[in-house]
Amino acid sequence: MDRRTFLKSAALVTGAGMIARNPLLAAKSAPGVVIVKNGSPREMVARALEMLGGISQFVSEGDYILLKPNISWDRRPEYAATSNPELVAAVVRLCLDAGARKVLIVDNTCNDARRCYKNTQIPEYAEKAGADVRFVRDSHFVDTKIPGATSLEHWLIHAEVFKVDKIINLPILKHHSLPGLTIGFKNMMGLLGGNRGRIHRPFAENIVDINRVIVADLTIVDAIRVLRRNGPSGGNLNDVEEMNTLIVGTDRVLVDAWSARIFGTDPESMDYLKLAHAAGMGEIDTHKFPAQQYNF
Amino acid sequence: MKKIQKTTLRRTVQLLFLGLFILTVLQAGYPFQPWIPPELFLWADPLAALATQIAGRFFDPVFLIALLVLLSPLLFGRAFCGWICPLGTTIDISDRLFTKKKNRSTRRYRPLKSILLITIFFFALLGVQISWYLDPLPILWRSLGIFGMSFFYLVTDGILSGLYDLNLLTDTVLNLQDSISIRFFPLGTPTFTNLFLPFLIFITILALRKISRRFWCRNLCPLGALLGLLSKFSPFQRIVAEKACTSCAVCQKKCKMDAIEDDYIHTEKSECILCLDCQEDCPTDAIRYGFRAPLAMRSATDLSRRSFIGAGIAALLGTGFLSLSALNPHKTDRRLRPPGALPEDDFMERCIRCGECMRICATSGACLQMVFLETGLEGLLTPVSKYRLGYCEYNCNLCGQICPTKAIQPIELAEKQKVKIGTAFFLTDRCIPYRLNENCIVCEEHCPLPEKAIKLKEEEYEDLATGEKRLIGYPYVEPDLCIGCGICENKCPLEGEAGIIVTREGEERYRL
Repeated sequence: MDRRTFLKSAALVTGAGMIARNPLLAAKSAPGVVIVKNGSPREMVARALEMLGGISQFVSEGDYILLKPNISWDRRPEYAATSNPELVAAVVRLCLDAGARKVLIVDNTCNDARRCYKNTQIPEYAEKAGADVRFVRDSHFVDTKIPGATSLEHWLIHAEVFKVDKIINLPILKHHSLPGLTIGFKNMMGLLGGNRGRIHRPFAENIVDINRVIVADLTIVDAIRVLRRNGPSGGNLNDVEEMNTLIVGTDRVLVDAWSARIFGTDPESMDYLKLAHAAGMGEIDTHKFPAQQYNF
Repeated sequence: MKKIQKTTLRRTVQLLFLGLFILTVLQAGYPFQPWIPPELFLWADPLAALATQIAGRFFDPVFLIALLVLLSPLLFGRAFCGWICPLGTTIDISDRLFTKKKNRSTRRYRPLKSILLITIFFFALLGVQISWYLDPLPILWRSLGIFGMSFFYLVTDGILSGLYDLNLLTDTVLNLQDSISIRFFPLGTPTFTNLFLPFLIFITILALRKISRRFWCRNLCPLGALLGLLSKFSPFQRIVAEKACTSCAVCQKKCKMDAIEDDYIHTEKSECILCLDCQEDCPTDAIRYGFRAPLAMRSATDLSRRSFIGAGIAALLGTGFLSLSALNPHKTDRRLRPPGALPEDDFMERCIRCGECMRICATSGACLQMVFLETGLEGLLTPVSKYRLGYCEYNCNLCGQICPTKAIQPIELAEKQKVKIGTAFFLTDRCIPYRLNENCIVCEEHCPLPEKAIKLKEEEYEDLATGEKRLIGYPYVEPDLCIGCGICENKCPLEGEAGIIVTREGEERYRL
């Protein structure tokens, strides 16, 4: 290496470092996805957020945070139909430690909410960590216009979505027969009211439309236990694979795309991801945008 | 002052038992960890115990509690009616709150309740249980448990939702709403069909006050008649000091039960509910209550031979009428019974329409519904699963855990998850993929079985108009896997009738 090359690369590294340290620039210019493997849920999420520049990138002093895990089904955590409760608790603690004023957890469940909230163990863990866990009710949803919608002009959306400072999406990676997989985009259905079965038609357009108005600032995909078949409700432990992985990032499309890749599905085969990419919501090409990886 | 204390004591006891009754109603929730059995008052109900066990030809030791109540008149007459019966207390409360009507004598209607009682027994002997129509304890249980709680929920949730909309006390409101949810109802507004009939029965019982005090207890209540039978042997009774009595008639005019004879000295013991009011009202303190050797005397509950035979004939005709109007259960395929339900005949003989199963149903106020005439005249107000309103939660077996007469058997969860309530069928004229050749999968996605009973058959569809080709998942049911829980029918996104329905095909009833 001659002196010129050295100086050039030194300048580049310093510049890159400065860009990386600037949250505004870092979040927008370089869509970062990190993949962390083989740690405890707590270690993995802490590590992932560190790699993305620290929790302070996402949570400011006094923020009101909406955390959206998947509590949809009346299943115990080991069935991998719902988000990992330890992971949820870890995220709640990180937010509160970073100065969040309040962390709200809600989900419009598919099974009886009382059963889902009990058997998924998410409320139990999250409340211990300091979160406010709430049931949803019909009266909590407001009919909301969706600007730029191509299919779903308006829908009933949880009122708190519009009151919070930040939204953190915490889906679990699962098999699902319609899009093939359910990851971050579909998890937002838990903030909708009304006859949600209607959303399935046309699925890709509608799921993209709801993510136009419910914008997650950070997506943490739980691939600790992954439901490979009979999703999204599961119920058979033989369908569950321990992958011990988190996929974390701010680019919603890219996070879902990388999660699909980890699952073994080509993101380009998933209609909603293509649509979301075309709508400028994020990057889909996992080859062009590699993920930073860390293995414990 | 001592006298006042006695009626105050009685009122306190009444309120305590009403409170206990309400507590039993409140036990029916999720998670189901009762510290008083919700069935307590129904197990203690001798009318329900006798009518169901005679009609259903079975013995359940839990009804030995009812024996205590049945034999209590041998010591204390109809004290159960005056001190314990929560419907009696409800009538007394509504009396104080809503009416200042005169108290008329209704003596000539007295035998009515005995005729009703004996008719119920004749029916039971012929294998038909009709006691539920007039049994005060199931009447009150379903009144409080079903529409009482629903009204409570509507009002409180209405107020709280209003506050939430106005952004007032948001945290407090959400906390309160959640504690109501946890204890009483899940999400959304409880929906109960055919509420008007039980509501009408309840309101009529209270409205009979227009005629007299405790008109129901005096003339109609078959449980009162049953307890009255042994009351004439009760040693504890109203005792009047004849010398002190001035025949002022205050006691007779005010008597809730019209139990005081025209000489103001003698009491009709099969009517007297030992409320002690007359002791308090007597201006000369001539009345006291105490033990005295019971003189067997003619009782107002004694029936003439004519009414006895009449009741027998009525039961015979009624049973015949019911069996003639019974629907063939194998052909009327939409009447789905909860998992663990006994075969239809046994089920009908045991079901006392208390509403406990509907109250505790996981999707409370939705899945289990009271039917009107859909299951025949005999099946009036029995629970039927209405899957367009709710569905049977895969991990729930609470209806069987709570049924006081075991019309729905208390089966283990693992067993319940295998019981076939019915089988799902696609209506391909309605179902979205079949009709519109578009993907839907909502039913498949919700199917709770470890191996889904709804599967997708992927086929390429070519739109003839545009030439566009697309891959469609056409759903179909594996009948051997399907347990008929109905979540598919419930969640089908179509408006009105679903594209998939559950019928009684393959239904399994619990065999004793």
